[in-house]
Amino acid sequence: MRVRVELHPALKQWIEERFARYPSERSLVVPALLEAQKYYSYVSPEVEIGLAELLGMPPQEVHSVASFYSMLHQHPVGRHIIQVCHNVSCYLRGAEDVIAHLEEVLGIKVGETTEDGRFTLVTVECLAACGQAPVMMVDEKLVEQVTPERAEAALAEFD
Amino acid sequence: MLQETKVVTELAGTEGLRRLEVYEAHGGYGALRKALTGMKPQEVIDEVKRSGLRGKGGAGFPAGLKWSFVPRDHPGPKYLAANADEGEPGTFKDRWIVEENPHLLIEGSIIASYAAGIDHAYVYTRGEFFTARRVLLGAIKEAYARGYLGENILGSGYALEMTVHSGAGSYECGEETALLTSLEGGRGHPKLKPPFPATHGAWGRPTVINNVETLATVPSIINRGADWYRSFGTEKSPGVKMVSISGHVEKPGNYEIPLGTPVRMILDDLGGGVWKGRELKAFAPGGSSTPLLLPGNLDTPYDYESIAEAGSMLGSGGIIVFDETTDMVRVAEILTRFYAWESCGKCTPCREGTRWMLQIYERILNGGGRMEDLDLLLDICEGIDSKSFCPFGDAALGIVRSTIQHFRAEYENYIRKHKVYKRKFMPVRHH
Ligand SMILES: Cc1cc2nc3c(=O)[nH]c(=O)nc-3n(C[C@H](O)[C@H](O)[C@H](O)COP(=O)(O)O)c2cc1C
Ligand code: SF4
Ligand code: FES
Repeated sequence: MRVRVELHPALKQWIEERFARYPSERSLVVPALLEAQKYYSYVSPEVEIGLAELLGMPPQEVHSVASFYSMLHQHPVGRHIIQVCHNVSCYLRGAEDVIAHLEEVLGIKVGETTEDGRFTLVTVECLAACGQAPVMMVDEKLVEQVTPERAEAALAEFD
Repeated sequence: MLQETKVVTELAGTEGLRRLEVYEAHGGYGALRKALTGMKPQEVIDEVKRSGLRGKGGAGFPAGLKWSFVPRDHPGPKYLAANADEGEPGTFKDRWIVEENPHLLIEGSIIASYAAGIDHAYVYTRGEFFTARRVLLGAIKEAYARGYLGENILGSGYALEMTVHSGAGSYECGEETALLTSLEGGRGHPKLKPPFPATHGAWGRPTVINNVETLATVPSIINRGADWYRSFGTEKSPGVKMVSISGHVEKPGNYEIPLGTPVRMILDDLGGGVWKGRELKAFAPGGSSTPLLLPGNLDTPYDYESIAEAGSMLGSGGIIVFDETTDMVRVAEILTRFYAWESCGKCTPCREGTRWMLQIYERILNGGGRMEDLDLLLDICEGIDSKSFCPFGDAALGIVRSTIQHFRAEYENYIRKHKVYKRKFMPVRHH
Protein backbone atom coordinates (compact mmCIF):
# COMPACT_ATOMS: atom_id res chain seq x y z
CA MET A 1 0.00 0.00 0.00
CA ARG A 2 1.25 3.45 -0.85
CA VAL A 3 1.03 5.94 1.98
CA ARG A 4 0.46 9.58 1.14
CA VAL A 5 1.40 12.33 3.52
CA GLU A 6 0.44 15.99 3.25
CA LEU A 7 3.29 18.15 4.52
CA HIS A 8 2.57 21.32 6.45
CA PRO A 9 1.62 23.91 3.79
CA ALA A 10 4.18 26.46 4.99
CA LEU A 11 6.95 23.87 4.78
CA LYS A 12 5.79 22.83 1.34
CA GLN A 13 5.83 26.42 0.20
CA TRP A 14 9.29 27.00 1.70
CA ILE A 15 10.62 24.09 -0.34
CA GLU A 16 8.79 24.83 -3.57
CA GLU A 17 9.95 28.45 -3.57
CA ARG A 18 13.52 27.15 -3.68
CA PHE A 19 13.23 24.62 -6.49
CA ALA A 20 14.29 27.12 -9.12
CA ARG A 21 17.62 27.66 -7.31
CA TYR A 22 18.84 24.12 -7.99
CA PRO A 23 19.35 21.89 -11.03
CA SER A 24 17.66 19.02 -9.20
CA GLU A 25 14.86 18.96 -6.66
CA ARG A 26 16.50 16.46 -4.38
CA SER A 27 19.32 18.94 -3.74
CA LEU A 28 16.96 20.54 -1.27
CA VAL A 29 16.63 17.46 0.90
CA VAL A 30 19.11 18.48 3.63
CA PRO A 31 17.88 22.06 4.12
CA ALA A 32 14.29 20.81 3.82
CA LEU A 33 14.81 18.24 6.57
CA LEU A 34 16.27 20.93 8.81
CA GLU A 35 13.38 23.24 8.03
CA ALA A 36 10.88 20.44 8.64
CA GLN A 37 11.94 20.28 12.26
CA LYS A 38 10.37 23.69 12.77
CA TYR A 39 7.01 22.07 12.08
CA TYR A 40 7.55 18.58 13.45
CA SER A 41 9.35 17.60 16.62
CA TYR A 42 11.51 15.16 14.68
CA VAL A 43 12.01 13.53 11.29
CA SER A 44 9.34 10.84 11.49
CA PRO A 45 8.74 8.25 8.75
CA GLU A 46 5.70 10.32 7.74
CA VAL A 47 7.82 13.43 7.25
CA GLU A 48 10.28 11.38 5.20
CA ILE A 49 7.50 10.04 3.00
CA GLY A 50 6.05 13.51 2.50
CA LEU A 51 9.42 14.96 1.56
CA ALA A 52 10.23 12.04 -0.70
CA GLU A 53 7.12 12.66 -2.74
CA LEU A 54 7.79 16.38 -3.02
CA LEU A 55 11.47 15.96 -3.91
CA GLY A 56 10.99 13.04 -6.27
CA MET A 57 13.17 10.55 -4.44
CA PRO A 58 12.48 7.23 -2.69
CA PRO A 59 11.55 7.53 1.01
CA GLN A 60 14.37 5.15 1.83
CA GLU A 61 16.83 7.61 0.40
CA VAL A 62 15.38 10.48 2.36
CA HIS A 63 15.80 8.32 5.44
CA SER A 64 19.34 7.46 4.50
CA VAL A 65 20.20 11.15 4.19
CA ALA A 66 18.30 12.13 7.33
CA SER A 67 20.10 9.55 9.44
CA PHE A 68 23.51 10.94 8.45
CA TYR A 69 23.23 14.45 9.91
CA SER A 70 23.51 15.08 13.63
CA MET A 71 20.99 17.91 13.77
CA LEU A 72 18.21 15.77 12.31
CA HIS A 73 16.38 13.95 15.06
CA GLN A 74 15.21 10.40 14.53
CA HIS A 75 13.11 10.40 17.71
CA PRO A 76 10.82 12.89 19.39
CA VAL A 77 12.69 15.59 21.30
CA GLY A 78 11.77 18.35 23.73
CA ARG A 79 10.38 21.73 22.74
CA HIS A 80 13.84 23.23 23.03
CA ILE A 81 17.23 21.71 22.32
CA ILE A 82 20.18 22.63 24.47
CA GLN A 83 23.45 21.88 22.69
CA VAL A 84 26.53 22.30 24.82
CA CYS A 85 29.86 22.18 23.03
CA HIS A 86 32.02 19.41 24.46
CA ASN A 87 34.93 19.83 22.08
CA VAL A 88 38.47 20.71 22.98
CA SER A 89 38.56 24.51 23.34
CA CYS A 90 35.36 24.52 25.37
CA TYR A 91 36.64 21.63 27.49
CA LEU A 92 39.77 23.65 28.25
CA ARG A 93 37.62 26.47 29.62
CA GLY A 94 35.13 24.56 31.71
CA ALA A 95 32.52 22.93 29.49
CA GLU A 96 32.40 19.88 31.76
CA ASP A 97 31.18 21.95 34.69
CA VAL A 98 28.50 23.53 32.52
CA ILE A 99 27.26 20.16 31.31
CA ALA A 100 27.31 18.66 34.81
CA HIS A 101 25.35 21.61 36.17
CA LEU A 102 22.72 21.44 33.45
CA GLU A 103 22.31 17.70 34.05
CA GLU A 104 21.74 18.46 37.69
CA VAL A 105 19.26 21.31 37.38
CA LEU A 106 17.32 19.59 34.61
CA GLY A 107 17.41 16.23 36.35
CA ILE A 108 18.39 14.42 33.15
CA LYS A 109 21.52 13.04 31.54
CA VAL A 110 22.99 14.18 28.24
CA GLY A 111 20.84 12.73 25.48
CA GLU A 112 17.62 12.80 27.53
CA THR A 113 14.52 14.97 27.59
CA THR A 114 12.94 16.50 30.68
CA GLU A 115 9.71 14.90 31.81
CA ASP A 116 7.68 18.00 30.99
CA GLY A 117 9.02 17.87 27.43
CA ARG A 118 10.58 21.31 27.73
CA PHE A 119 14.25 20.56 27.07
CA THR A 120 16.42 17.97 25.41
CA LEU A 121 20.04 18.20 26.53
CA VAL A 122 22.73 17.15 24.08
CA THR A 123 26.39 17.85 23.56
CA VAL A 124 27.70 19.07 20.24
CA GLU A 125 30.97 19.33 18.36
CA CYS A 126 32.86 22.60 18.01
CA LEU A 127 30.40 25.40 17.15
CA ALA A 128 33.07 27.69 15.65
CA ALA A 129 32.85 29.97 18.66
CA CYS A 130 35.92 28.75 20.57
CA GLY A 131 37.11 32.31 21.19
CA GLN A 132 34.12 32.72 23.50
CA ALA A 133 34.41 29.26 25.05
CA PRO A 134 32.66 27.57 26.62
CA VAL A 135 29.56 27.99 24.50
CA MET A 136 26.17 26.43 24.07
CA MET A 137 23.17 26.85 21.82
CA VAL A 138 19.57 26.85 22.86
CA ASP A 139 17.55 26.26 19.71
CA GLU A 140 19.00 28.88 17.32
CA LYS A 141 20.56 31.09 19.96
CA LEU A 142 24.28 30.96 20.72
CA VAL A 143 25.21 31.62 24.34
CA GLU A 144 28.86 32.51 24.84
CA GLN A 145 31.27 32.39 27.79
CA VAL A 146 28.87 30.27 29.78
CA THR A 147 29.39 29.42 33.41
CA PRO A 148 27.13 26.92 35.18
CA GLU A 149 25.08 29.86 36.49
CA ARG A 150 24.84 31.64 33.12
CA ALA A 151 23.86 28.41 31.43
CA GLU A 152 21.00 27.92 33.86
CA ALA A 153 19.90 31.54 33.56
CA ALA A 154 19.89 31.34 29.75
CA LEU A 155 17.10 28.76 29.88
CA ALA A 156 14.62 31.14 31.47
CA GLU A 157 13.44 32.65 28.18
CA PHE A 158 12.51 29.26 26.71
CA ASP A 159 9.24 27.85 28.01
CA MET B 1 54.85 44.58 20.06
CA LEU B 2 53.16 42.84 17.15
CA GLN B 3 50.26 44.71 15.62
CA GLU B 4 47.61 43.07 13.51
CA THR B 5 47.73 43.51 9.73
CA LYS B 6 44.10 43.95 8.84
CA VAL B 7 43.04 42.93 5.36
CA VAL B 8 39.94 40.75 5.73
CA THR B 9 39.29 42.28 9.13
CA GLU B 10 39.94 45.86 8.01
CA LEU B 11 36.42 47.13 8.62
CA ALA B 12 35.74 44.96 11.66
CA GLY B 13 33.86 46.78 14.34
CA THR B 14 32.39 49.35 11.94
CA GLU B 15 28.91 50.29 13.10
CA GLY B 16 26.20 48.78 10.88
CA LEU B 17 28.70 47.04 8.58
CA ARG B 18 26.22 44.31 7.69
CA ARG B 19 24.19 46.87 5.76
CA LEU B 20 25.02 47.46 2.11
CA GLU B 21 25.09 51.25 2.33
CA VAL B 22 27.58 51.19 5.20
CA TYR B 23 29.79 48.68 3.39
CA GLU B 24 29.65 50.84 0.26
CA ALA B 25 30.43 53.99 2.22
CA HIS B 26 33.71 52.31 3.19
CA GLY B 27 34.61 51.48 -0.38
CA GLY B 28 32.66 48.23 -0.57
CA TYR B 29 31.94 46.82 -4.04
CA GLY B 30 34.63 49.09 -5.48
CA ALA B 31 36.72 46.03 -6.31
CA LEU B 32 33.75 44.41 -8.02
CA ARG B 33 33.26 47.50 -10.15
CA LYS B 34 36.95 47.59 -11.00
CA ALA B 35 37.04 43.90 -11.96
CA LEU B 36 33.81 43.76 -13.95
CA THR B 37 34.17 47.04 -15.80
CA GLY B 38 37.94 47.20 -16.23
CA MET B 39 39.38 43.70 -16.25
CA LYS B 40 38.90 40.59 -18.33
CA PRO B 41 38.30 37.36 -16.38
CA GLN B 42 41.79 36.17 -17.30
CA GLU B 43 43.26 39.39 -15.95
CA VAL B 44 41.54 38.81 -12.61
CA ILE B 45 42.94 35.28 -12.49
CA ASP B 46 46.41 36.54 -13.35
CA GLU B 47 46.32 39.20 -10.66
CA VAL B 48 45.21 36.71 -8.00
CA LYS B 49 47.81 34.22 -9.22
CA ARG B 50 50.53 36.88 -8.96
CA SER B 51 49.38 37.78 -5.45
CA GLY B 52 50.20 34.25 -4.36
CA LEU B 53 46.90 34.00 -2.47
CA ARG B 54 46.66 30.52 -0.99
CA GLY B 55 43.45 28.82 0.13
CA LYS B 56 42.68 29.52 3.76
CA GLY B 57 40.48 26.47 4.37
CA GLY B 58 43.26 24.10 5.26
CA ALA B 59 45.19 22.87 2.26
CA GLY B 60 46.73 26.19 1.20
CA PHE B 61 46.21 25.59 -2.52
CA PRO B 62 46.82 28.66 -4.74
CA ALA B 63 43.44 30.25 -5.45
CA GLY B 64 44.18 31.75 -8.86
CA LEU B 65 45.55 28.45 -10.11
CA LYS B 66 42.42 26.64 -8.93
CA TRP B 67 40.22 29.05 -10.88
CA SER B 68 42.32 28.59 -13.99
CA PHE B 69 41.49 24.84 -14.04
CA VAL B 70 37.86 25.57 -14.86
CA PRO B 71 37.40 24.98 -18.60
CA ARG B 72 36.54 28.33 -20.10
CA ASP B 73 34.67 27.32 -23.27
CA HIS B 74 32.73 24.47 -21.64
CA PRO B 75 29.04 24.82 -22.49
CA GLY B 76 26.49 24.67 -19.69
CA PRO B 77 26.44 25.96 -16.13
CA LYS B 78 29.43 26.20 -13.81
CA TYR B 79 29.31 26.60 -10.07
CA LEU B 80 31.06 28.11 -7.10
CA ALA B 81 30.72 26.53 -3.68
CA ALA B 82 31.79 28.94 -0.96
CA ASN B 83 32.80 26.75 1.94
CA ALA B 84 31.20 28.16 5.10
CA ASP B 85 31.02 24.81 6.85
CA GLU B 86 33.72 25.71 9.41
CA GLY B 87 33.82 22.69 11.66
CA GLU B 88 37.50 22.27 12.47
CA PRO B 89 37.75 22.46 16.26
CA GLY B 90 39.65 25.59 17.25
CA THR B 91 38.64 27.54 14.15
CA PHE B 92 36.08 30.35 14.26
CA LYS B 93 37.07 32.90 11.65
CA ASP B 94 34.65 32.09 8.83
CA ARG B 95 31.50 32.37 10.92
CA TRP B 96 32.89 35.64 12.21
CA ILE B 97 33.51 36.98 8.68
CA VAL B 98 29.98 36.09 7.56
CA GLU B 99 28.33 37.60 10.62
CA GLU B 100 30.56 40.66 10.79
CA ASN B 101 30.99 41.56 7.11
CA PRO B 102 28.70 39.48 4.87
CA HIS B 103 29.09 41.78 1.88
CA LEU B 104 32.84 41.17 1.82
CA LEU B 105 32.20 37.46 1.24
CA ILE B 106 29.56 38.27 -1.37
CA GLU B 107 31.83 40.70 -3.20
CA GLY B 108 34.76 38.29 -3.18
CA SER B 109 32.52 35.47 -4.39
CA ILE B 110 31.21 37.52 -7.30
CA ILE B 111 34.73 38.47 -8.39
CA ALA B 112 35.92 34.86 -8.13
CA SER B 113 32.87 33.71 -10.07
CA TYR B 114 33.45 36.29 -12.78
CA ALA B 115 37.07 35.18 -13.09
CA ALA B 116 36.19 31.50 -13.44
CA GLY B 117 33.10 32.04 -15.61
CA ILE B 118 30.66 30.79 -13.01
CA ASP B 119 26.87 31.01 -13.34
CA HIS B 120 25.68 30.19 -9.85
CA ALA B 121 27.39 30.55 -6.47
CA TYR B 122 26.24 28.45 -3.51
CA VAL B 123 27.29 29.34 -0.01
CA TYR B 124 27.33 26.09 1.94
CA THR B 125 26.78 27.01 5.59
CA ARG B 126 26.92 24.47 8.35
CA GLY B 127 23.55 23.66 9.86
CA GLU B 128 24.29 25.24 13.22
CA PHE B 129 24.98 28.67 11.66
CA PHE B 130 21.47 30.07 12.02
CA THR B 131 22.58 33.64 12.67
CA ALA B 132 25.19 33.63 9.92
CA ARG B 133 22.57 32.37 7.48
CA ARG B 134 20.09 35.07 8.42
CA VAL B 135 22.73 37.76 8.09
CA LEU B 136 23.93 36.44 4.75
CA LEU B 137 20.43 36.08 3.31
CA GLY B 138 19.71 39.70 4.19
CA ALA B 139 22.93 40.88 2.56
CA ILE B 140 22.37 38.84 -0.61
CA LYS B 141 18.91 40.31 -0.95
CA GLU B 142 20.43 43.80 -0.78
CA ALA B 143 23.07 42.86 -3.34
CA TYR B 144 20.40 41.63 -5.77
CA ALA B 145 18.37 44.80 -5.29
CA ARG B 146 21.46 46.87 -6.03
CA GLY B 147 22.30 44.98 -9.22
CA TYR B 148 25.45 43.29 -7.90
CA LEU B 149 23.78 39.92 -8.42
CA GLY B 150 21.40 38.73 -11.11
CA GLU B 151 21.48 39.70 -14.78
CA ASN B 152 23.97 42.05 -16.41
CA ILE B 153 25.90 43.02 -13.30
CA LEU B 154 27.08 46.65 -13.46
CA GLY B 155 26.31 46.68 -17.16
CA SER B 156 29.08 44.16 -17.86
CA GLY B 157 26.82 41.55 -19.40
CA TYR B 158 27.95 39.10 -16.71
CA ALA B 159 25.17 37.32 -14.78
CA LEU B 160 25.43 35.48 -11.47
CA GLU B 161 22.96 33.86 -9.10
CA MET B 162 23.78 33.32 -5.43
CA THR B 163 22.06 30.89 -3.07
CA VAL B 164 22.58 30.12 0.59
CA HIS B 165 22.53 26.39 1.28
CA SER B 166 22.44 24.70 4.64
CA GLY B 167 23.94 21.52 6.02
CA ALA B 168 22.47 19.81 9.06
CA GLY B 169 25.35 18.83 11.31
CA SER B 170 28.40 17.05 9.86
CA TYR B 171 32.10 17.91 10.05
CA GLU B 172 32.97 15.82 7.00
CA CYS B 173 30.76 18.03 4.82
CA GLY B 174 33.53 20.65 5.04
CA GLU B 175 35.70 18.38 2.89
CA GLU B 176 35.21 19.77 -0.59
CA THR B 177 33.83 16.71 -2.38
CA ALA B 178 31.67 15.64 0.58
CA LEU B 179 30.33 19.18 0.54
CA LEU B 180 29.31 18.67 -3.07
CA THR B 181 27.58 15.36 -2.34
CA SER B 182 25.70 17.04 0.47
CA LEU B 183 24.77 19.96 -1.78
CA GLU B 184 23.41 17.47 -4.31
CA GLY B 185 21.20 15.96 -1.61
CA GLY B 186 23.11 13.01 -0.24
CA ARG B 187 24.86 11.73 2.86
CA GLY B 188 28.11 13.64 3.31
CA HIS B 189 30.39 11.17 1.56
CA PRO B 190 33.42 12.36 -0.40
CA LYS B 191 33.93 11.61 -4.08
CA LEU B 192 36.87 10.01 -5.81
CA LYS B 193 39.47 12.39 -7.28
CA PRO B 194 40.27 12.59 -10.16
CA PRO B 195 38.15 13.78 -11.82
CA PHE B 196 38.59 17.00 -9.89
CA PRO B 197 35.73 19.37 -9.07
CA ALA B 198 37.15 21.99 -11.44
CA THR B 199 35.90 19.82 -14.31
CA HIS B 200 33.42 17.41 -12.60
CA GLY B 201 32.00 19.05 -9.50
CA ALA B 202 28.49 19.77 -8.32
CA TRP B 203 25.93 17.91 -10.46
CA GLY B 204 28.85 16.79 -12.62
CA ARG B 205 29.57 20.36 -13.69
CA PRO B 206 32.79 22.40 -13.38
CA THR B 207 32.90 23.74 -9.83
CA VAL B 208 35.23 25.90 -7.78
CA ILE B 209 35.30 25.35 -4.01
CA ASN B 210 36.85 28.06 -1.90
CA ASN B 211 36.95 28.84 1.77
CA VAL B 212 35.15 31.95 3.08
CA GLU B 213 38.37 33.67 4.16
CA THR B 214 39.97 33.01 0.77
CA LEU B 215 37.05 34.64 -1.02
CA ALA B 216 36.94 37.52 1.46
CA THR B 217 40.59 38.32 0.65
CA VAL B 218 39.94 38.75 -3.06
CA PRO B 219 38.45 42.29 -3.04
CA SER B 220 41.50 43.85 -1.39
CA ILE B 221 43.83 42.15 -3.88
CA ILE B 222 41.82 43.60 -6.75
CA ASN B 223 41.73 47.02 -5.08
CA ARG B 224 45.38 47.26 -4.13
CA GLY B 225 47.07 44.81 -6.42
CA ALA B 226 49.11 41.66 -6.23
CA ASP B 227 52.34 43.43 -5.27
CA TRP B 228 50.71 45.04 -2.28
CA TYR B 229 49.43 41.64 -1.07
CA ARG B 230 52.83 40.11 -1.67
CA SER B 231 54.46 42.82 0.43
CA PHE B 232 53.22 40.86 3.44
CA GLY B 233 54.27 37.37 4.36
CA THR B 234 57.08 35.26 2.98
CA GLU B 235 58.18 34.29 -0.51
CA LYS B 236 56.29 30.98 -0.47
CA SER B 237 53.54 32.00 1.92
CA PRO B 238 52.66 35.48 0.76
CA GLY B 239 50.12 37.72 2.39
CA VAL B 240 48.16 37.55 5.58
CA LYS B 241 46.18 34.96 7.51
CA MET B 242 43.47 35.10 10.11
CA VAL B 243 44.31 33.10 13.19
CA SER B 244 41.75 31.96 15.73
CA ILE B 245 43.37 31.68 19.15
CA SER B 246 41.57 29.60 21.75
CA GLY B 247 42.16 27.54 24.87
CA HIS B 248 44.36 28.59 27.74
CA VAL B 249 45.22 32.16 26.71
CA GLU B 250 44.32 35.48 28.26
CA LYS B 251 42.76 36.98 25.14
CA PRO B 252 41.23 34.32 22.89
CA GLY B 253 39.85 35.62 19.62
CA ASN B 254 40.39 36.19 15.90
CA TYR B 255 43.43 38.11 14.76
CA GLU B 256 44.99 38.79 11.36
CA ILE B 257 48.75 38.60 10.89
CA PRO B 258 51.34 38.57 8.11
CA LEU B 259 52.34 34.99 7.37
CA GLY B 260 55.79 34.27 8.76
CA THR B 261 55.19 35.99 12.11
CA PRO B 262 56.80 33.98 14.93
CA VAL B 263 54.24 31.99 16.91
CA ARG B 264 55.53 33.48 20.16
CA MET B 265 54.56 37.00 19.07
CA ILE B 266 51.13 35.85 17.97
CA LEU B 267 50.42 34.14 21.27
CA ASP B 268 51.99 36.74 23.55
CA ASP B 269 51.27 40.04 21.83
CA LEU B 270 47.84 39.23 20.46
CA GLY B 271 46.65 36.31 22.58
CA GLY B 272 47.90 37.90 25.79
CA GLY B 273 50.03 34.88 26.68
CA VAL B 274 49.13 31.74 28.58
CA TRP B 275 46.37 32.46 31.07
CA LYS B 276 46.71 32.69 34.83
CA GLY B 277 50.46 33.21 34.52
CA ARG B 278 50.95 29.54 33.77
CA GLU B 279 53.47 27.84 31.53
CA LEU B 280 52.74 26.58 28.04
CA LYS B 281 52.58 22.82 27.62
CA ALA B 282 51.76 22.50 23.93
CA PHE B 283 49.79 24.07 21.10
CA ALA B 284 48.00 22.90 17.99
CA PRO B 285 49.07 25.34 15.27
CA GLY B 286 46.23 24.97 12.76
CA GLY B 287 43.14 23.38 14.23
CA SER B 288 42.53 20.06 15.94
CA SER B 289 43.79 18.05 12.96
CA THR B 290 47.33 19.37 13.19
CA PRO B 291 50.00 17.59 15.29
CA LEU B 292 50.87 19.36 18.54
CA LEU B 293 53.95 21.54 18.79
CA LEU B 294 55.88 22.32 21.98
CA PRO B 295 57.24 25.42 23.75
CA GLY B 296 60.50 24.78 21.91
CA ASN B 297 58.67 25.55 18.65
CA LEU B 298 57.52 29.01 19.76
CA ASP B 299 59.99 30.82 17.56
CA THR B 300 58.80 29.04 14.44
CA PRO B 301 57.55 31.52 11.84
CA TYR B 302 53.84 31.02 11.27
CA ASP B 303 53.82 30.13 7.57
CA TYR B 304 53.02 26.93 5.66
CA GLU B 305 56.62 25.87 5.11
CA SER B 306 58.02 26.61 8.56
CA ILE B 307 55.17 24.97 10.44
CA ALA B 308 55.50 21.91 8.20
CA GLU B 309 59.22 21.81 8.89
CA ALA B 310 58.48 21.85 12.60
CA GLY B 311 56.40 18.71 12.08
CA SER B 312 52.87 20.05 11.87
CA MET B 313 50.57 22.01 9.57
CA LEU B 314 49.23 25.54 9.38
CA GLY B 315 45.82 24.11 8.47
CA SER B 316 42.90 26.43 9.06
CA GLY B 317 44.79 28.83 11.33
CA GLY B 318 43.15 27.75 14.57
CA ILE B 319 45.79 27.88 17.31
CA ILE B 320 44.73 25.91 20.40
CA VAL B 321 46.79 26.55 23.52
CA PHE B 322 47.27 24.03 26.34
CA ASP B 323 48.71 25.15 29.67
CA GLU B 324 50.90 23.07 31.97
CA THR B 325 47.92 21.66 33.88
CA THR B 326 46.24 20.11 30.84
CA ASP B 327 45.45 16.39 30.88
CA MET B 328 46.75 15.50 27.42
CA VAL B 329 45.26 12.01 27.47
CA ARG B 330 41.82 13.46 28.03
CA VAL B 331 42.44 15.96 25.21
CA ALA B 332 43.39 13.10 22.89
CA GLU B 333 40.26 11.21 23.93
CA ILE B 334 38.00 14.21 23.26
CA LEU B 335 39.40 14.65 19.79
CA THR B 336 39.44 10.94 19.02
CA ARG B 337 35.78 10.83 19.99
CA PHE B 338 35.17 13.75 17.66
CA TYR B 339 36.80 11.95 14.73
CA ALA B 340 35.14 8.63 15.54
CA TRP B 341 31.71 10.24 15.66
CA GLU B 342 32.21 12.45 12.63
CA SER B 343 33.77 9.80 10.38
CA CYS B 344 31.43 9.57 7.42
CA GLY B 345 31.72 5.78 7.41
CA LYS B 346 32.47 5.39 3.74
CA CYS B 347 35.85 3.67 4.09
CA THR B 348 36.91 0.96 6.52
CA PRO B 349 40.28 2.19 7.85
CA CYS B 350 38.83 5.47 9.07
CA ARG B 351 35.41 4.21 10.19
CA GLU B 352 36.73 1.21 12.12
CA GLY B 353 40.10 2.64 13.10
CA THR B 354 38.80 5.78 14.76
CA ARG B 355 36.19 3.79 16.71
CA TRP B 356 38.76 1.27 17.84
CA MET B 357 41.04 4.05 19.02
CA LEU B 358 38.16 5.61 20.93
CA GLN B 359 37.51 2.31 22.71
CA ILE B 360 41.15 2.17 23.75
CA TYR B 361 41.01 5.74 25.06
CA GLU B 362 37.90 4.96 27.05
CA ARG B 363 39.62 1.92 28.51
CA ILE B 364 42.65 3.98 29.51
CA LEU B 365 40.58 6.77 31.05
CA ASN B 366 38.49 4.24 32.95
CA GLY B 367 41.56 2.79 34.62
CA GLY B 368 41.75 -0.38 32.53
CA GLY B 369 44.50 0.56 30.10
CA ARG B 370 47.41 -1.73 29.26
CA MET B 371 50.92 -0.76 28.31
CA GLU B 372 50.46 -2.49 24.95
CA ASP B 373 47.64 -0.06 24.22
CA LEU B 374 50.14 2.62 23.26
CA ASP B 375 51.68 0.47 20.54
CA LEU B 376 48.23 -0.64 19.52
CA LEU B 377 47.15 2.98 19.09
CA LEU B 378 50.21 3.66 16.96
CA ASP B 379 49.54 0.50 14.92
CA ILE B 380 46.00 1.62 14.22
CA CYS B 381 47.31 5.02 13.16
CA GLU B 382 49.62 3.22 10.76
CA GLY B 383 46.61 1.32 9.39
CA ILE B 384 44.72 4.53 8.70
CA ASP B 385 47.62 6.66 7.47
CA SER B 386 47.40 7.28 3.72
CA LYS B 387 45.00 4.34 3.41
CA SER B 388 41.76 6.22 3.89
CA PHE B 389 39.51 7.49 1.15
CA CYS B 390 39.79 11.18 2.04
CA PRO B 391 42.11 13.38 4.15
CA PHE B 392 39.82 13.00 7.19
CA GLY B 393 41.53 9.73 8.11
CA ASP B 394 44.96 11.30 8.35
CA ALA B 395 43.51 14.30 10.15
CA ALA B 396 42.41 12.03 13.00
CA LEU B 397 45.96 10.82 13.65
CA GLY B 398 47.83 14.00 14.55
CA ILE B 399 46.54 14.25 18.09
CA VAL B 400 47.03 10.56 18.87
CA ARG B 401 50.56 10.36 17.55
CA SER B 402 51.78 13.67 18.88
CA THR B 403 50.41 13.12 22.40
CA ILE B 404 51.98 9.66 22.56
CA GLN B 405 55.22 11.04 21.23
CA HIS B 406 55.46 14.02 23.56
CA PHE B 407 53.40 13.02 26.59
CA ARG B 408 53.90 9.28 26.85
CA ALA B 409 54.47 9.59 30.59
CA GLU B 410 50.93 10.88 31.06
CA TYR B 411 49.54 7.81 29.34
CA GLU B 412 51.77 5.56 31.41
CA ASN B 413 50.65 7.31 34.55
CA TYR B 414 47.03 6.46 33.78
CA ILE B 415 47.89 2.88 32.94
CA ARG B 416 50.30 2.08 35.78
CA LYS B 417 48.20 3.58 38.53
CA HIS B 418 44.88 2.50 37.03
CA LYS B 419 43.99 6.15 37.31
CA VAL B 420 40.38 6.92 36.41
CA TYR B 421 39.45 10.17 34.74
CA LYS B 422 36.91 11.97 36.91
CA ARG B 423 34.36 12.33 34.20
CA LYS B 424 31.53 14.63 35.11
CA PHE B 425 29.39 13.61 32.22
CA MET B 426 29.16 10.73 29.83
CA PRO B 427 28.99 11.88 26.21
CA VAL B 428 26.55 9.88 24.13
CA ARG B 429 26.02 9.91 20.41
CA HIS B 430 22.47 10.59 19.47
CA HIS B 431 20.65 11.61 16.38
C1 LIG C 1 37.61 16.58 7.00
C2 LIG C 1 37.79 17.90 6.33
C3 LIG C 1 37.04 18.99 6.73
C4 LIG C 1 37.19 20.22 6.11
N1 LIG C 1 36.44 21.26 6.56
C5 LIG C 1 36.56 22.47 5.93
C6 LIG C 1 35.76 23.57 6.33
O1 LIG C 1 34.95 23.48 7.25
N2 LIG C 1 35.91 24.75 5.67
C7 LIG C 1 36.80 24.89 4.64
O2 LIG C 1 36.88 25.95 4.06
N3 LIG C 1 37.57 23.86 4.24
C8 LIG C 1 37.47 22.66 4.86
N4 LIG C 1 38.24 21.61 4.43
C9 LIG C 1 39.14 21.84 3.26
C10 LIG C 1 38.36 21.68 1.97
O3 LIG C 1 38.38 20.33 1.57
C11 LIG C 1 38.95 22.51 0.82
O4 LIG C 1 40.33 22.27 0.76
C12 LIG C 1 38.75 24.00 0.96
O5 LIG C 1 37.43 24.34 1.22
C13 LIG C 1 39.19 24.67 -0.32
O6 LIG C 1 39.14 26.07 -0.20
P1 LIG C 1 40.46 26.96 -0.20
O7 LIG C 1 41.34 26.46 -1.31
O8 LIG C 1 39.97 28.34 -0.41
O9 LIG C 1 41.10 26.77 1.13
C14 LIG C 1 38.12 20.37 5.05
C15 LIG C 1 38.88 19.28 4.65
C16 LIG C 1 38.72 18.06 5.28
C17 LIG C 1 39.56 16.91 4.81
S1 SF4 D 1 38.51 8.83 5.55
FE1 SF4 D 1 36.87 7.47 4.79
S2 SF4 D 1 35.37 7.17 6.44
FE2 SF4 D 1 36.78 8.83 7.01
S3 SF4 D 1 35.60 10.65 6.44
FE3 SF4 D 1 36.95 10.16 4.68
S4 SF4 D 1 35.78 8.79 3.37
FE4 SF4 D 1 34.68 8.94 5.32
S1 FES E 1 35.42 23.92 20.85
FE1 FES E 1 33.54 24.69 21.57
S2 FES E 1 33.06 26.18 20.08
FE2 FES E 1 34.92 25.37 19.34
